[in-house]
Amino acid sequence: MADELYLENIDEFVTDQNRVVTYKWLSYTLGVHVNQAKQMLYDYVERKRKENSGAQLHVTYLVAGNLLQNGHVCHKVAVVREDKLEAMKSKLSTVSSVHVYSVQKALLKDSSPLYNTDYDIVKTNLQHCSRFSAIRCAAAVPRTPAEAPPAPAQSPRSQRDPGAAGTLNGHGPPAAKAPPQQHKGIMGMFAAKAAAKAQDTPKEAKAEAKEAPGVSAASSKPPTKNNIMNNFFGKAAMNKLKANSVPEQPKEEKEVVKPSVAVAEPESSPNTVAEKPGKKAESARIQQKDKKSKTKRADRSDDEEERDPENVKKKRKRIKQLQSDSSDDEDVPPSPTLEEERAPSPPPAPAPKAELEPASTEVAAGARKRKRKRVLKSKMFIDEEEGCMGKAG
Amino acid sequence: MFSEQAAPMAQGLLAPPSAEPPTFPRVPVSGYLDCSQPFQLGERGFSRQYAHIYAVRLAGMRPGLERRAQSRWGDDIVLRKLSELQAGEKCCVVGTLFKSMQLQPSILQEISEEHNLVPQPPLPKYIQPSDELMLEDELQRIKLEGAIDVQRLVTGTILAVYGCEQDDGRFLVEDHCFADLPPPLPWNGPSSDRFVLLASGLGLGSVSGEALLSTQLLVDVVTGQLGAEGEQSCAAHITRVILAGNLLSQNTQSRDTINKAKYLTKKMQAASVEAVKMLDEILLQLCTSVPVDVMPGEFDPTNYTLPQQPLHRCMLPLASAYATLHLVTNPYQASLDGVRFLGTSGQNISDIFKYSSMDDYLEILEWTLLAGHISPTAPDTLGCYPFYKTDPFILTECPHVYFCGNAPHFQSKLLQGKEGQRVLLVTVPDFGATQTACLVNLRDLTCQPITFSGFGADSED
Repeated sequence: MADELYLENIDEFVTDQNRVVTYKWLSYTLGVHVNQAKQMLYDYVERKRKENSGAQLHVTYLVAGNLLQNGHVCHKVAVVREDKLEAMKSKLSTVSSVHVYSVQKALLKDSSPLYNTDYDIVKTNLQHCSRFSAIRCAAAVPRTPAEAPPAPAQSPRSQRDPGAAGTLNGHGPPAAKAPPQQHKGIMGMFAAKAAAKAQDTPKEAKAEAKEAPGVSAASSKPPTKNNIMNNFFGKAAMNKLKANSVPEQPKEEKEVVKPSVAVAEPESSPNTVAEKPGKKAESARIQQKDKKSKTKRADRSDDEEERDPENVKKKRKRIKQLQSDSSDDEDVPPSPTLEEERAPSPPPAPAPKAELEPASTEVAAGARKRKRKRVLKSKMFIDEEEGCMGKAG
Repeated sequence: MFSEQAAPMAQGLLAPPSAEPPTFPRVPVSGYLDCSQPFQLGERGFSRQYAHIYAVRLAGMRPGLERRAQSRWGDDIVLRKLSELQAGEKCCVVGTLFKSMQLQPSILQEISEEHNLVPQPPLPKYIQPSDELMLEDELQRIKLEGAIDVQRLVTGTILAVYGCEQDDGRFLVEDHCFADLPPPLPWNGPSSDRFVLLASGLGLGSVSGEALLSTQLLVDVVTGQLGAEGEQSCAAHITRVILAGNLLSQNTQSRDTINKAKYLTKKMQAASVEAVKMLDEILLQLCTSVPVDVMPGEFDPTNYTLPQQPLHRCMLPLASAYATLHLVTNPYQASLDGVRFLGTSGQNISDIFKYSSMDDYLEILEWTLLAGHISPTAPDTLGCYPFYKTDPFILTECPHVYFCGNAPHFQSKLLQGKEGQRVLLVTVPDFGATQTACLVNLRDLTCQPITFSGFGADSED
């Protein structure tokens, strides 16, 4: 029966899995209204204690009410252990609500497990966090895209740029201006080639990873791009960026170009977009790049190649792979966001695909270097671990 | 009072599951008007000097003060500028106060090599018995003495003094007055209970996690997850939440990255990044259920000078997808259901606290209302944008609710003015330290604190 089912479930959670079952956790797990969850917990406790008075069951309650404090009537909301329930109730002048907050096997020393349980379950249900609540707000509707000005539309694209912006921007996040300018020049070059090719993006992604030939085309491009970069960067930056720029540019361009629906028109928007979200992931990327500074090209090209195979499959694991091979704690935020952007990228097919073609050739160039640099890369990885300064950005 | 009518149903949830439990619709805000346009800066230029802001402040407040002076000391009193003063003549002068304090931190002293001084550590108060008051107007200044409380007043206040100039060039004050309460706004408040929750100093990103459960409890009460049915239906009457600053804790402000060598800090992430992510999640939970106004504070990632501009939407990607999230300026002014709110995140009050003998935040809050200016110490000791056309901190209308955030504890007072003004003064306590927020009832302008607590190993409950 449905009635008995929840009792069994709660029993399983509490005794078998040894969980701290808060009303909120139960509400999300069973998909019921929060008040029902509270009542279920109460029912479970009552029945369990009736059957087996020695049952190892500890309960925390929520008590709320008015309290006279410092001369004014204060509304107090407190989570208390069962043994302190009556004491708290007697302290309050009027009790406005009492209900079960959580049930668990062990006696809790403090309320942090309660907080952690709630935090975890809410984190996994962020999109529907008010679904089982007792209050519905009619005004809480997501903004329509029209209301929310450029930022959301640009954010998918922007977040795809962080790799580009970060690595190009060898001297740190603040110089976000330079990458956009570079993109303009580079994308201008791509726009010329845009007409030439139009194929599957996924297929191209595959091709990027595996194509060996076509390097010549790639090699001709980097020098010209370097010139463009020279224009934007000062001499000091150039030395640092030279090594980075060549393998970087093609890959970054590919990334940059991918998201933009039409390369020609919103040059400004990807650029501006690149700045903001780019900054956040830029710092992550820059840290990545800085870490690999010993063997600049190798790492980056390796990373790119790591990314490309994933790119082939789902464009989803890309970041995860990146995290696993580069540093222990790559920051997670770029990954979900980047995943989102991967999704929009297939739809805007024609222009990006065109750009992918030339990019793929450059990737192939990197692919060629892969064999040579693999050993270096692993060495560097070890070095990284040793030299790791605690939490990485 | 909040949830008093919930008492009969208090134990309702200590029972086996019943049929479909009720859901209560959130009481909508019938009229919301954001009146904080004067505090929103568009293009900002910092090439002007700060003398202009004092000039417009004096020019803006002079007419009102002259009227006040005449009503207080008689219509026939002589109003003089400092340049027209005659020795021995009783007259009234309107001007800006300047308090010269020996302990006031001065950047010139700090960098002065002759003195070889170690910079002065921050003190709780910078007042000293040797401080002196001076009155300045457009052209001149004069030292004040007499029936005026030097310790209590702060630089930047516009006031009118009545007295006469002495032979030694000082002005002997017999009486002084401020601009007093601004003219009242008509009252269009709601006829049924509507609550606004004021909270400040959430302090996310701090090292200690004690306040985290309390923050979660606060969100749960407001979103209607916590509490028995009576309490939830009362919580549905909370029409708005205003977070008055310091959403991030002071711990996120570590400046180590500037001092440490680059190779040590390269892999470090600013503490504020994690804290902002946590803030985003909390705001998302709130925004799916209630309109929220988020004001920046002293430790939040926005500009330092007043008026602080709203936090940028890109930092809160999850929550800003909802139309119920409003990122607003500090100070913030808005009209909710016909009730005018005006408040700051507390920097103005705490700055006056440092340079005045007044100790009580509520007293200082009331004093700023009577002085007719939200933050007289800006730009002297509190960073301020160099306004030159108007001073937006001058109070031109009397708000119905006047609050300041990040106070050490909760206080509230209903102030009645001579012209029919009714103002509820609220000092919103720092939630990270006190786990207390405030519920303002718009119907009758009363305020109730709401405290949250968990249990710890060493607490008695």
